[in-house]
Amino acid sequence: MQAPAFSIEGVFPPPSRDVTDSDVPPPAAPGDALAASAVPPMPAPPPPLPLPPSWTANLLAVDAELSPRREATRFGVGLGLAALYGLALGAREGRLAFLAHAAGVPAALLVAFGVGIPALYIFLALVDAPVAVAAVAAAATRATATAGLVLAGLAPAAALFVVTSERPGAAALAAGVGLAVGGAFGLGNVVSDLRRSVEGARAPVRVAADLAFGVFGLFAVIVALRVWMSLLPVLGGVQ
Amino acid sequence: MSAVVLNRLLRAPDEIAAACREDRDVRAIAATSLVALAVGAAVFGGVIGSFRGGVQIAYAALKVPFAMMATLALCVPAFHAIAAGLGRAFPLRVIVALALAAAGRAALVLLAVAPLLWLTFDRGLGYHAAALASALAYAAAGAAAFSVLVRGLGGGEGRVLTAVAFAAVFFAVGGQTSWILRPYLIRPRTWAAASQHAQKIPFLRAYEGSFADSLYKSSRSARDVYDEEGSR
Repeated sequence: MQAPAFSIEGVFPPPSRDVTDSDVPPPAAPGDALAASAVPPMPAPPPPLPLPPSWTANLLAVDAELSPRREATRFGVGLGLAALYGLALGAREGRLAFLAHAAGVPAALLVAFGVGIPALYIFLALVDAPVAVAAVAAAATRATATAGLVLAGLAPAAALFVVTSERPGAAALAAGVGLAVGGAFGLGNVVSDLRRSVEGARAPVRVAADLAFGVFGLFAVIVALRVWMSLLPVLGGVQ
Repeated sequence: MSAVVLNRLLRAPDEIAAACREDRDVRAIAATSLVALAVGAAVFGGVIGSFRGGVQIAYAALKVPFAMMATLALCVPAFHAIAAGLGRAFPLRVIVALALAAAGRAALVLLAVAPLLWLTFDRGLGYHAAALASALAYAAAGAAAFSVLVRGLGGGEGRVLTAVAFAAVFFAVGGQTSWILRPYLIRPRTWAAASQHAQKIPFLRAYEGSFADSLYKSSRSARDVYDEEGSR
């Protein structure tokens, strides 16, 4: 039997502008018309419309149920987006530097989240924090997608800075600021997602969980720095 | 180009921001803002170039709109990603419309201050005062643009952080883009040297340093600390 074709659209469907029941105002009651004829109606300000749907909103959405296929795709899309930032950094040297940076930037996310998140889950389970494996996995993939999206968004600006800065130090500074911002978004996302899960827990559990989040954050920062400084030529890594 | 949209850009930034956010009239807003941006920035650029005069007027009239448009093109993906990362996953077209509307409003402010700036240049304003006056005009335009961007974010958590992040990205990218398209005003020293050697002022300066280096150097020279050329 042939498996159905895999597509990004299947996992992150394109936006639809269908009107839902909640968008349609309820019909006016018969008594309202009478009241309106007695007192001149004040025009009520229109309620704010919901945000238009978008591919990005879908990518970062919190799902009610875990779908391994969707989470795997989200993780892959996040790493792919992060690779775009790497391509931008590679524009300073060109040629093989494109590849080196495109592989190096997502590598840190892969290591920090791939190694750190399972360890974090084990610690949270040891202190009996009410966090499910599925929630931790989803938080990690959302964090990767968020970091990747921010890095991809900063990629054009990063390309401008690394290409037009004369000194290698200035290019490295620009590259590093972008990496720090992208990494901070990812880290902030995973920690805030998981902290919400332990909000209802007993105070000692919450304290232990906060400690775990702090250690995880420190670990992620150090590991990411280590990987990026080793692999990215623009930061003085492997040439 | 719509006079109604131009009027709304100036008088009702709230309304324009809401229209962008709710994906209404974005085509008209974007088209009008783009025209306003091209015209306003070109006129302002021409006035900046009039500090030195001659071909520099045309050069600056080309470079200022280009710098603004390039800055927008480079910033929009970052705005989109940062807003999404902070809980406002707007479609990209909403961010494009919002950024264009903000830039269009800024260009209209530049268009408004251009005659005043031209008059001060004509009255013999010095180089440093001219640079400061131009920077103040940019700051006023930036404030007008920023008000549209902030309104476009709507209410809710993370609004200030998103706005600050937008401003930081815009300042850094705008600074670097403008810096690589120098010169605009032309220092008297550069002009004198070029005249002495019968050289033309180039359309773009040679590749050197970066915007950050330039800020650092300017902050030192403002404290009367001058680094020797070639010491780095």
